[in-house]
Amino acid sequence: MSQLIAVRDIAKSYRQRQGSQTVKALGGVSFSVQRGEVLGLLGPNGAGKTTTIKAICGLVMPDSGTVTINGFDVQRQRLEALRSISAVLEGNRNLYWRLTARENLEYFAGNRGASRRQVRAQIDELLRQFRLADKGNELVNHLSRGMQQKLAIAVALLAGSEIILLDEPTLGLDVESGYEVRQLLRDIQTQGRTLIISSHDMPVVQDLCQRVVIISGGRVVADDQVSNLLKLFATRAYQVTLGAPLSSAQLSRLQARFTASVDHPAKTVVRVNLEHGEDIYELIEILRLERTPVEAIDRTTINFEQVFLQVINGAKPPEETHAL
Amino acid sequence: MLYNVLVANSRKVIIEMQRYLPNTLSLVATFYIIFLAMFFGISIIGDPATAEANIQFVIISNAFWFLAIMAMTSMGWEVTTEATRGTLEQLAMSPVGLSAILLMRMVANIATQLVIIAAMLVLVMWTAGQWLNFDLAMVPILLPTLISMIGIGYVVAGLSIIFKQIQALLQIMQFVFLGMTFVPLSVLPWLELAPFVKGVDLTRQVMTQGLGLGGLGPLDWLSLLLNAAVYFTLGLVFFRWCERVARRQGLLGQY
Repeated sequence: MSQLIAVRDIAKSYRQRQGSQTVKALGGVSFSVQRGEVLGLLGPNGAGKTTTIKAICGLVMPDSGTVTINGFDVQRQRLEALRSISAVLEGNRNLYWRLTARENLEYFAGNRGASRRQVRAQIDELLRQFRLADKGNELVNHLSRGMQQKLAIAVALLAGSEIILLDEPTLGLDVESGYEVRQLLRDIQTQGRTLIISSHDMPVVQDLCQRVVIISGGRVVADDQVSNLLKLFATRAYQVTLGAPLSSAQLSRLQARFTASVDHPAKTVVRVNLEHGEDIYELIEILRLERTPVEAIDRTTINFEQVFLQVINGAKPPEETHAL
Repeated sequence: MLYNVLVANSRKVIIEMQRYLPNTLSLVATFYIIFLAMFFGISIIGDPATAEANIQFVIISNAFWFLAIMAMTSMGWEVTTEATRGTLEQLAMSPVGLSAILLMRMVANIATQLVIIAAMLVLVMWTAGQWLNFDLAMVPILLPTLISMIGIGYVVAGLSIIFKQIQALLQIMQFVFLGMTFVPLSVLPWLELAPFVKGVDLTRQVMTQGLGLGGLGPLDWLSLLLNAAVYFTLGLVFFRWCERVARRQGLLGQY
């Protein structure tokens, strides 16, 4: 795979509306995206994701640093760079609600220089693929939120650009629509397009993305394959099922020593992260204080949401990881 | 490529005029009501000896005022509306460029308005019983006049991209345009330096006094063309500067 997008040390501060103070949105973000890759761009609210996305789309000018797409500098050769990218930034708000689904597709294609005749067959195919064929002549404001979201993605696809950037593609969708959008994104992925997905929906990220860049506080805190991150964090997560409740002394020692949580459903279950393999002995030692019976020790299956939370909370994967 | 952008924007303008029909009808009604007010004002309290000339003057000036408002302030409304809807950033991401898309939108708007104004002119001429002179000589005068108006449209669009809420300014501008379209150059000759006033003045002479192309001297043409070139260039440069400011401050998607 060859490099398609290069984000190099971009920094951005915004002046506050009142007063002369500035707020730092990005403090030197760098990463690259390979051709055909599906990249997840993640981070908590206010982390700088949107600014990064808009800098890639040429909608925000960084204070320093560069973004190149296909070798074109987004600031200096903006129009050339924009040929390779299309985006769904605000989902259904990216559409004209008083135009029909087909009119929206035709209008946006026209604004990229294509005639109606040139895109007619493509529009028919997209409406069919997105299961909107019978809604082509419906006004957008009569469509459901899920349909509007699909239409916004279809608009981005019709542009024929190599890169498609999706900001929160499943936000506000019901389970069925969310699943359908996810299925569509998987289909797009198989067409060899490069996708950048910014989302808080971790199952979507885990399902679709090969690699993630996690931004927190305006900096990249992790840049790795999803499978690597899952592996790195999963090796240290354990679930210990106990036959009796923990004493308060045990509990405070556990919480002081480890990142641990305790549930009390039918049994007392301790979920604990062990930074080093030998930490398990220390855990057993704490349990032995009150001779607490241990019924089971299981490696827990960590999901990507937990990995994400650990990364942004500053937990470091052991040794040689690619995390920053 | 730009032709397809123009076609797409013309279709959108026409479709939205149909879908927002009450708004379109109220615009037309406003034009007609303002004309009627002026017409009856002149007929009832004006000097009967000059009533005919005055009514003709009002008909054409009113049409130009309407056109100026539509051509120039519509871009401000369009930009504000696009920002509210969330579509402005999509337009700004087109490889054709936002300034080109807005230009095509303005051309589409002006062309549509010209058709409406022509129909309204016939209606008001019939109402007034005063028939103006329509001459092909108007076309080469009208073109640079419209280009000059587009330049001002770019200025309004640029301000809208940064400030978004410029409704108060747009309302004030309506009255500035009223002065620019109604005051003849013979009264205030320096207004020739202002955008589109020379064109409006010459068109008025073609329609009311039967002035032909032969009646225009080289200085008239120079003034018309220079006015169009200067205001269009200034407007475009200003708009691009505003677009840069908006991108630097992250204002494009904000409302």
